Amino acid sequence: MAYIEIQNLFKRFKKVVAVNRIQLKVNKGEMLTLLGPSGCGKTTTLRCIAGLEKPEEGDIIIDGKPMLSKGFVQPSKRGIGMVFQNYAVWPHMKVINNIVYGLKIQKLSKQKIQEKAQQVLVLVGLDGLEDRYPSQLSGGQQQRVALARALVGNPKVLLLDEPLSNLDAKLREELRFEIKSLVRRMGITSVYVTHDQAEAMVISDRIAVMEAGNVVQLGTAQEIYKKPANRFVADFIGTMNFVAGEVVRAAQGKDMVYVRTEFSEKILCRLSDNTEILPGAKVYASIRPEDVGIFSEPSPDKENLFKGTIVHKAYLGNFLNFFIRVDNTMVRVQVPHHLPHEEGQELYLFLNPQKCMLLL
Amino acid sequence: MSRGNISLAAFLWLVIAFLVLYPLSILVVESFKIAETGGWGIGNYLEFFQDAYYLKTFGNTLLLSAMVLLTTTVFGVPLAYILARYRHWGKTVFTALILLPIVLPAFAGVFAFIIFFGKYGTVNLLLMEIGLIEKPVNFIYGLHGLVFIQSLHMLPFIVLGLSAGFTNIDPSFEEAAEVEGASGFRRFFTITLPLCTPSYLAGAVLVFLWPFTDWLTPLILGQVDLLPSVSYINISYHFTDMHRKYMGIVAVVVSSVVCISLFLLARWWVEKKKYTGLSKGTTSEGRVIEPSMWVKSGAYVYMVLIAILVLLIPIVLGLSAFSRRWTFEVFPTYWTLENFRLILLESPGLIKNSFLFSGIALIFGIAFGLPVAYLIVRTRVPGKDALDFVITLMLAFPGIAIGVSYILAFWKGIPLAHYWIIMPLALFARRLPYFLRMAHSSYLQLDPSLEEASEVSGAGKIRTFFYISLPLLLKGVLVGVVMFFIMAFQEISTAVFLYKGGWETLPIGIYLNWHRGMEFGIAAAMAFLMIVITFILLLIVSRIGGGVLKAAWGAGEN
Repeated sequence: MAYIEIQNLFKRFKKVVAVNRIQLKVNKGEMLTLLGPSGCGKTTTLRCIAGLEKPEEGDIIIDGKPMLSKGFVQPSKRGIGMVFQNYAVWPHMKVINNIVYGLKIQKLSKQKIQEKAQQVLVLVGLDGLEDRYPSQLSGGQQQRVALARALVGNPKVLLLDEPLSNLDAKLREELRFEIKSLVRRMGITSVYVTHDQAEAMVISDRIAVMEAGNVVQLGTAQEIYKKPANRFVADFIGTMNFVAGEVVRAAQGKDMVYVRTEFSEKILCRLSDNTEILPGAKVYASIRPEDVGIFSEPSPDKENLFKGTIVHKAYLGNFLNFFIRVDNTMVRVQVPHHLPHEEGQELYLFLNPQKCMLLL
Repeated sequence: MSRGNISLAAFLWLVIAFLVLYPLSILVVESFKIAETGGWGIGNYLEFFQDAYYLKTFGNTLLLSAMVLLTTTVFGVPLAYILARYRHWGKTVFTALILLPIVLPAFAGVFAFIIFFGKYGTVNLLLMEIGLIEKPVNFIYGLHGLVFIQSLHMLPFIVLGLSAGFTNIDPSFEEAAEVEGASGFRRFFTITLPLCTPSYLAGAVLVFLWPFTDWLTPLILGQVDLLPSVSYINISYHFTDMHRKYMGIVAVVVSSVVCISLFLLARWWVEKKKYTGLSKGTTSEGRVIEPSMWVKSGAYVYMVLIAILVLLIPIVLGLSAFSRRWTFEVFPTYWTLENFRLILLESPGLIKNSFLFSGIALIFGIAFGLPVAYLIVRTRVPGKDALDFVITLMLAFPGIAIGVSYILAFWKGIPLAHYWIIMPLALFARRLPYFLRMAHSSYLQLDPSLEEASEVSGAGKIRTFFYISLPLLLKGVLVGVVMFFIMAFQEISTAVFLYKGGWETLPIGIYLNWHRGMEFGIAAAMAFLMIVITFILLLIVSRIGGGVLKAAWGAGEN
């Protein structure tokens, strides 16, 4: 059962369409991430859910109640908690007053407020700092204040707008897990916005990849990584080699095709589920760097085997990256770090047909 | 874009139309009236640009402006550099002293320097006493004195702009030049100074326009062949001679056009030249250097000299205020409270009027300025930029233009000038940009997500404004409030055209005492009183600003 339902949402700023009639459902208790490059409409979508932007068309249903079609529901009446990118912790209020601000508006009893505040302070690890002013806190601590403020009122929905992007790398990684376990424990339905694919993969139950105002793919991290819907998604999530080509004919049953490219008459590729591609279609034969095998000797029985030269070698600690030139095409390959190959060396690339995808 | 915002914008436009656009258009209309025939035409303008006297006046004003700008620049550049870059003791004290003329009434300086540097003033008497000179030297009466007094008054605008520029330059620009091998003076003239031109120009244009506004200083120094003084004399002394009156109005319009054009030109140029660095996270302090012993001592001597000149104003006025008939003496010998007794007993109304009019103007200013700042920064209401533009233009308008246009516009058709409310209204219109600028910039610094976070937490718009926006705006707005009040408190160029018996403010009282009976003692005592009041206000704002609010913002933020 969908807890948040976004129907046909359309929002534009003057002439620029920010959100182009998207449909999206978030299940109860789920953490859904809106992932995409800047300007893709992810933050605007989030702000529409919060009620901070008024969309031109469409509706947003939260817990069965329409936010737009039956009169615009003000952000203050939506029962949401939100963590802003720059924390938006009020600098003129102590930590404790930041946190209990919303509770006071709800007119809870003093004792109840005290109790709830104490709980959430412990939860986010801020107990003992309640009488500090925000300027006396570190960035990470301010982020925790923002999180506590969003969680303390038991919101129906938690919205997080790139909450970790202002923190340094180490802290960011730490907080990812912390937020994930916290939100899961509380069972709050949440929408998380980020442009960091690694963050999205760690934190979310499902990811909606957005591009130019549209949701281009919705699925779990694994689904999106293994079966990207198009070239944009494949490129945005992880690294992918793209070789431009043209479909020649079907081969070995209906889910495999041959592709003609600049360096080869036929590369065997797997079709994604339920796609029909006619011969002559312009496509990209695509393979992830870690799926490319390398061999020192040619093995004649294998298909998709091509000769190339190592142009660059990059040592990345746990593995090596080779940039290998096949004719005029550069293929990136990721291999274990102990392989002895050097720049200038010739070798054979194996583009595993099962892992070689056909993307538009 | 809600309906509320649109009606708010419409209301604010109405106020501006009534208090700014209407009177100023009347001013322009009047300038086309021909005295002899009672008809209309461009005759007055033709005469203005053909008459040798008016042309000379125009030329004199431009010359004075250029000289004042040159003087403030030559003295201001090193001063700004020292204040912004050198690590030295007493930075706060010197900065405060050098910026002091901003809050001192312009006419206070004239009186003080006449007493000190006049024909038989302290300096001349001292020099004659020790036998260095036989006849008094003319230090002050004439163009050179005018340049000196106006320059000292306007110096802060150059120093303020430039030192902010010097502080805000991304240090890496200069470091890059240093690495490239440009050192010392070369780096300063090729990198630092050019990068500061936008901030310099913002102050420079105000300096250049000052001689087009200040009619009183030239009048006191006997240099009346300048546009504002001529306008003042033509309009308030010769109002029965219709032709001279219209020529005065033409002079006001010409000054206004010059001021507005230069102001817009500078603004356009600053916009075009705005340099932005790509780097993030530069130090807030900027580049601070530790100069050598000699340079440092030189810098101190220089700062002390200028600080002494500034300090002369309150000191000389103070001495004069507590003495009787300080003439032909190096220092006053007869101490008395007579001057203050006269002010408090015989004309206590002046002080009351000053507070009343400035206070009411301030209330108008806040009630009008905050909504305008809100509209400009937070909404997309059509016409808001034009509103901002019109109000900002008021910065450039000579005070005389507003005074004259108010008396023309609100005498007959809409007879508002018969009631005292015209005084605060005129002050409000003239000083509005000061408050709006500050409200505007504090609104800009207020991150919208702080307000959004409140709304998401369940607070309505009103609650959000009072609990979140207002407290956060307060620091910036408070400075604007006090500046507005001080500026309104000192205002004379506009008020002098509008006051009637019983409506005199302190500045007008000062002017009248000088003008009618050469009552220097009383005028000086009034000026001293104004300085004291201004000081108390500044003290209060720095106390509130520094004490209560500082705790909330902490040391980390600027």
